[in-house]
Amino acid sequence: MVNLLSYFCIGVGIVFWFWGTFPLLGKRSLLFKLHSLSVADTLGSMSIIFGLLLKIPSEWSLLILALISLAIWNTILGYVLAYCSTTGGQND
Amino acid sequence: MNLLLIAMILALLIPMYEAWQDEDIWQKMLAFASIATKTSVMILVVSVLRDDWMIGVTGVIILSVGNAGLMLLAHVIKRVNDGVM
Amino acid sequence: MIDNYITAIVALLPLAAIMLTVQVNPYNALVIRGILGAVAALVYAVLGAADVALTEAMVGTMLSITLYAVAVRSSLVMRLGVLQDGQSEAKPIPDTASPLIEKLRAVARKYHLRLELVPYPDRQSLNQALLEKEVHVTCVAQSSPLETSQPYQTMTRIRRLHDIFQTELSALTTLTYLTPPTSGEQ
Repeated sequence: MVNLLSYFCIGVGIVFWFWGTFPLLGKRSLLFKLHSLSVADTLGSMSIIFGLLLKIPSEWSLLILALISLAIWNTILGYVLAYCSTTGGQND
Repeated sequence: MNLLLIAMILALLIPMYEAWQDEDIWQKMLAFASIATKTSVMILVVSVLRDDWMIGVTGVIILSVGNAGLMLLAHVIKRVNDGVM
Repeated sequence: MIDNYITAIVALLPLAAIMLTVQVNPYNALVIRGILGAVAALVYAVLGAADVALTEAMVGTMLSITLYAVAVRSSLVMRLGVLQDGQSEAKPIPDTASPLIEKLRAVARKYHLRLELVPYPDRQSLNQALLEKEVHVTCVAQSSPLETSQPYQTMTRIRRLHDIFQTELSALTTLTYLTPPTSGEQ
């Protein structure tokens, strides 16, 4: 049962990855791509790591650390990229 | 589990193609950010797959430090673009 | 025994390397180098070399790319010496020269160079700066305004820049190639 749930979580995470990465190929604006990419990537990665956590609970400290750093760093990275790209674009 | 890893590699190929064909540097940076996250999560998956603590620690460190390096690079590139105007 | 996924992951490495070698713009190449570093770290970790992967991520991806970005930024620059407009410190660029400056900037951008304007108070110090290799190119208004079609005089001491300018902006300015006085130094 737990094994099935963990596979489900990892599968959902990979679906999120594809869902967030496919808009990257289109001709949309940078901020639209950044939004979809950061949201879907972070949520998908967190879902995958949660699935791994269910699979092997003995490595919980490592995986919790990965979850926390993923949530914090990726959010900040999204903000930094948006800030840098918009102020750089105005001067063009 | 192997199948899941193959699917992850396929998901990794999309931003690589994007980084190759798009000329705008910020689009490339986006693809780079995506690839950095995906590779470190893949390292974590492999570590759990093999039940190997060493690779797991490496994956977590790469996950957090890679993001920090990315922010640094973003700021440097912003300065470069400001200089060109 | 080698699993299927290891083969697929290792195959990503030459792919990223080929992507890196076909890049023309140095900044784009730096970003692709970061992607190559991330993929390489993944390959090393999957093959079991955790220390090598860690070094690749720290030094190869983070440190070297940042240092290279700074180095490329400070080396790919074309310094253009101009005359200061009157006594006003705030506006060193003469307004009348702006179409030429714009054109120069466009040409420089085509070759991934950055244009940096260096103001000088008078003509003599401008020439001195060109001789002493403080600037690469100088641009001044023509002293005798007889030829109205080419109101500016551009001087350079670099053969390659002279060749580029000759094809790109011979309509806007007269070009002079300054041979370096001490031969063998270039």
